[in-house]
Amino acid sequence: MTEVIINSGLQLVLLLLVAPLLSGMIKTLKARLQNRRGPGVLQSYRDIFKLLRKGMVIPETASWIFSAAPYMVFGTATLVGLMIPMTTTHAPLSLFGGVLAVVYLLALGRFFLALGGLDTGSSFGGLGSSREMTISAIAEPAMMLAIFTVALGANSTNLSEMAKIAVTQSWRFLAPSQMLAFAALFIVLIAETGRIPVDNPATHLELTMIHEAMILEYSGPYLALIEWGASIKQLVLMTLLVNTFFPFGLSSDWTVQTVGVGLAFYLAKLFLLACLIVLVETSNAKLRLFRVPELLMVAFILGALALISTFLF
Amino acid sequence: MPFVPNPELGNRIITLMAALVLVLQIAAVGQRGIVSSIRIFAVQSFLLGAIAAVIAYFNHASHIYIAALLTVFLKAGLLPRLLERLVERIGIRREIEPLINVPLSILIAGGLTLLGYVVAESFYHPEQTSAQAALGHNTLAVAIALFLIGFFAMVNRRKALTQVLGLLSLENGLFLAAISLTYGMPLVVELGILFDVLVAVMVLGILVFRIRETFDSMDVSKLRKLRE
Repeated sequence: MTEVIINSGLQLVLLLLVAPLLSGMIKTLKARLQNRRGPGVLQSYRDIFKLLRKGMVIPETASWIFSAAPYMVFGTATLVGLMIPMTTTHAPLSLFGGVLAVVYLLALGRFFLALGGLDTGSSFGGLGSSREMTISAIAEPAMMLAIFTVALGANSTNLSEMAKIAVTQSWRFLAPSQMLAFAALFIVLIAETGRIPVDNPATHLELTMIHEAMILEYSGPYLALIEWGASIKQLVLMTLLVNTFFPFGLSSDWTVQTVGVGLAFYLAKLFLLACLIVLVETSNAKLRLFRVPELLMVAFILGALALISTFLF
Repeated sequence: MPFVPNPELGNRIITLMAALVLVLQIAAVGQRGIVSSIRIFAVQSFLLGAIAAVIAYFNHASHIYIAALLTVFLKAGLLPRLLERLVERIGIRREIEPLINVPLSILIAGGLTLLGYVVAESFYHPEQTSAQAALGHNTLAVAIALFLIGFFAMVNRRKALTQVLGLLSLENGLFLAAISLTYGMPLVVELGILFDVLVAVMVLGILVFRIRETFDSMDVSKLRKLRE
């Protein structure tokens, strides 16, 4: 029992601290690649602390949903973060649900965020919410198919079990089904975190914005919670991607040494994935909104093919 | 001791490349630009040539090397070059206009892939085949899927040039089916098919150019005007 508590505590601290760092790092890398100086790596922390100290303006038309949404977004993202293995094969909260709980807790957070966008009755909020739901309606099945492909190999939807199996066969990612599933999940990651071919995270001045349109009415601590929650969600999805497909260095026991090695490997893998995201964001233009479903349809078909090919190849 | 290639490894490499070929085919269905479709076809043909070379290496069938080389030279080098020149001469930079919209096309392509797998399942008897034949056997499903999607691409498109691309990817499917079923056809047959396709594309290229000159468009549905 104490082990579970220590494990949860460690992972919680890691989750809360690494998530803004990762967002900041992606911003900095992107700026460097585009020949700008860009903000420092720690800028995301500063933003969050600044917002937490500010007062906030709540629209007169807003109901309790407006205030509940930031807590739901932050809470679900953190809870999901405790359910996936980060540095060890054993996730602290692998008690219930497995991968289905992960997908639907994330969906719950998104649902409340969309409600929060609608709640104030501003036209931009409604626009953003409707777009977010359109995209997630296709991204979610694609994500499920890709994850089921991995779950089939492990004979379990429990993420800890999947990680344990994965560690024993590290080179499995060369199988076609795994590569297809990875490609599908990568597209879903881009869509879910609002990165460039789908949404532009750097601006809220565009008519095509999605995430920013929903949170336009939020300010102060609520905005800080939402932004922090969004970066945790990004970290969670990236962790899911690197640890299910490239399980190198995941430690399976509890000595200081293996946990340290696991942490180092984990951070290195996250860094590489961040570099990949930065490359994709820099080398692509934002898609027209009506073309986004096409991209996600490709992800869906890739996921379906991955699932089919586990049976055949 | 002579080096004995491990057939398990060969199987893995072939499966991986076949999966890539399939992904490229589906990407081609989702593609709008005509030049990028041609490039996708070129990469796909190159991978096919590579698959043929791997089969040749693991089965010690040296005549397949020739087929592989010819595939790479003709289908990944010469044909795309010809088609790109044709595109330049006609001066089209416009997007491909499919009859069915792109998301639905991609879904249909996925469905056809599934169909390919179902059909190929009935051919699969691992207990009866020798180790040699088993190599690349599981690519039959991919080959049938390529074939079906190539057909679909031809039906789905209006412009003559893009239909030619559909025909070419259909032929890629045939090639893959041939090497996966027979682990190496006689060289004469391979050569015959290859040059057949080459001549077909040349003739079709000239035809496309003429259609364009006569009708000011490559839209084959306008050919109905031939009825007087």
